[in-house]
Amino acid sequence: MLIQFYNVSKIYPNGVKALNDVSLKIDRGEFVFLMGPSGAGKSTLIKMLFREEIPTRGQIFIASRSIVRMKRKEIPALRRSMGIIFQDFKLLENKTVYENIAFAMEVIGAKPSDIKYRVPELIKMVGLKGKERCFPGELSGGEQQRVGIARALANQPLVLIADEPTGNLDVGTSNEIMELLYDINRKGTTVIMATHARELVRHARKRVIMLEKGRVAGDYPDGEFLA
Amino acid sequence: MILRNFNYFSREAFRSLSRNRLLTLATISTVCICMLILGIAVLITVNASNFMQHLESDVEIVAFIDKSVMPSQVQLIGKEISTIQGVKRVKFVSKEEGLEQLQEKMGNKNLKETIGENPLPDTYEVQAENPHDVPEIARTIEKIDGIYKVKYGQGVVERLFEVTKWVRIVSITVIVLLAFGAVFLVATTIRLAIFSRRKEIYLMKLIGATDWFIRWPFFIEGLVLGTFGALVAVGILALAYNSLINNMQMVFFLPLVVKSEVINRLYLSLVGIGALLGIVGTFISVNRFLKV
Repeated sequence: MLIQFYNVSKIYPNGVKALNDVSLKIDRGEFVFLMGPSGAGKSTLIKMLFREEIPTRGQIFIASRSIVRMKRKEIPALRRSMGIIFQDFKLLENKTVYENIAFAMEVIGAKPSDIKYRVPELIKMVGLKGKERCFPGELSGGEQQRVGIARALANQPLVLIADEPTGNLDVGTSNEIMELLYDINRKGTTVIMATHARELVRHARKRVIMLEKGRVAGDYPDGEFLA
Repeated sequence: MILRNFNYFSREAFRSLSRNRLLTLATISTVCICMLILGIAVLITVNASNFMQHLESDVEIVAFIDKSVMPSQVQLIGKEISTIQGVKRVKFVSKEEGLEQLQEKMGNKNLKETIGENPLPDTYEVQAENPHDVPEIARTIEKIDGIYKVKYGQGVVERLFEVTKWVRIVSITVIVLLAFGAVFLVATTIRLAIFSRRKEIYLMKLIGATDWFIRWPFFIEGLVLGTFGALVAVGILALAYNSLINNMQMVFFLPLVVKSEVINRLYLSLVGIGALLGIVGTFISVNRFLKV
C-alpha cells in the first residue's frame, strides 16, 4: 500500500475544520480522482501528501513511513518521491521551458550530464519539442501545464499529485492534458488528482474519492462513479 | 558533488545579482551607507582616543625634595621612587636646572641675579606606565622621607580622566548601536530581495531541495553584496580621510592618527564587518521563507 490515512483530522489555528476523521488507502499504480465542492478538504488532503500540512489527529503513512513523525530534515526525501502540478502551473517566468524543467533536477543536486540527457526526453514526452527556448509567457495555458507536468516528472516520482490541473484550461486542452496523465499512469506512476470537473471524471472511469465537509462521502472503484 | 554544488550556488548567486539589479544596487547602497557611518564613528573614536592618550600621557608627577636633605640621600630617594610599582621613568632635575628652565619659561635672562640665592628645591619628575595610576603613585611618593610636596595637577587630572572615560563609553555605545542598526537595515533590504523570489523558494521546497541547498546561493549573494558595499565605503572613507590629513593637519595641528598600519587594519575590519553584515542579514531573513 502506497498511501494510508488513518482517522485523519485537521483543524486550522483559526478554528476551521478542514478534515474530519478521514481514512483511506491508495495503492501503487492507481489513478484516483479527489472530488468535492470547494472547502470540502481536497486541498488540505493534497497538502498533507507532501507534508506542507500535518494532521491535528490521526496518522498518515506514505510508502510505510509516517509523515507525522517525520523529522524536518527527512522531508526533502519524501518530496523527491513525488511530483506536483498546480492549477496555476507555478512556472518561473524568467526561466525558459528547458530551464524550468532542469530547475527541478538542479535543486536536488542532479548531475549536469543527467540533466542534459533527461530534460530533452521529458520535453519530447509532453509534446513540447521546439519550444525549449520559449518563456512561459509565450506559451498557451495547455503548453504551460505540459511544462509543469514535465517538471513534476523530472525526478521520476512514485506519485504524481495534481491539484486542479485543468482548472484554468478549456475542455479541449483539458482532454489533452488528461490523455497525458493517463499515459503517465499507464507507465506505472500513481496519479492523485483533485478536480471539480464532473464531466471529465465520469468519462475517465477511474476510482473516485468524494469529499464533503471534511469527510469521505463516497469511494467509488474504477468505473462506478456515474453521477 | 560538493564542488559541483558550489559551482551551481555561485552561478545562481551571480545570476540573481545581475537579474535583480535594482535590489542589488539598493542593498549595496544600504551596506555602503551603514559602513560609511560606522567608519566615520570609528575614525572619530580612534582619533579621540588617540588625542586623549596624548593628554593623559602628559600627566606627570613632580616630587619636591626637602632642602635639608643631603645630596647622597637625594639619590636614595630617586632609587626608592623608581622601585614603586607602575613607575615608568624617573628624572632628576637639580635646583640649578630647575632655575634655568624657569628662566627660559619666563624669558628673563637675569633671573638668577635678580633673586639672588636659588630658591628652588631639587625635584624628581616621575612618569607612570599608566597615567591612571598617577594619583596612587603620587600618594606613595608623598610618604617617602625627605619629600615635602608632590604635585601632579590634583583635581584637574581626576576630572580629565572622568571626561575621557565617558567619551570612551559614549563612543563605544554609539558604535555598537550603529552596528545593530546596520544589521537591521541590511537584513531588511535582503529580505526584500528574498521576498521577490519567494515563489521560487516555495517551489524548491516542494520539489525536495534541502534547506541548505536553498540557503547557499543567498549566503554567497549576501557575502558579495556586503563585501562590495563595504569596499565602496572604505574607498570613500580613505579618500576623505587622506585629504583631511593633508589639509587639516597643517591648519589646525590636529593630532590625527596617520599610522598606516592602524588605519589599514581599521579599513580591513570594516570590509570584514561588511561581509559579516551580508551573511548575518541573509541568515536572519532567509529562514522565515524556508518554513514550508
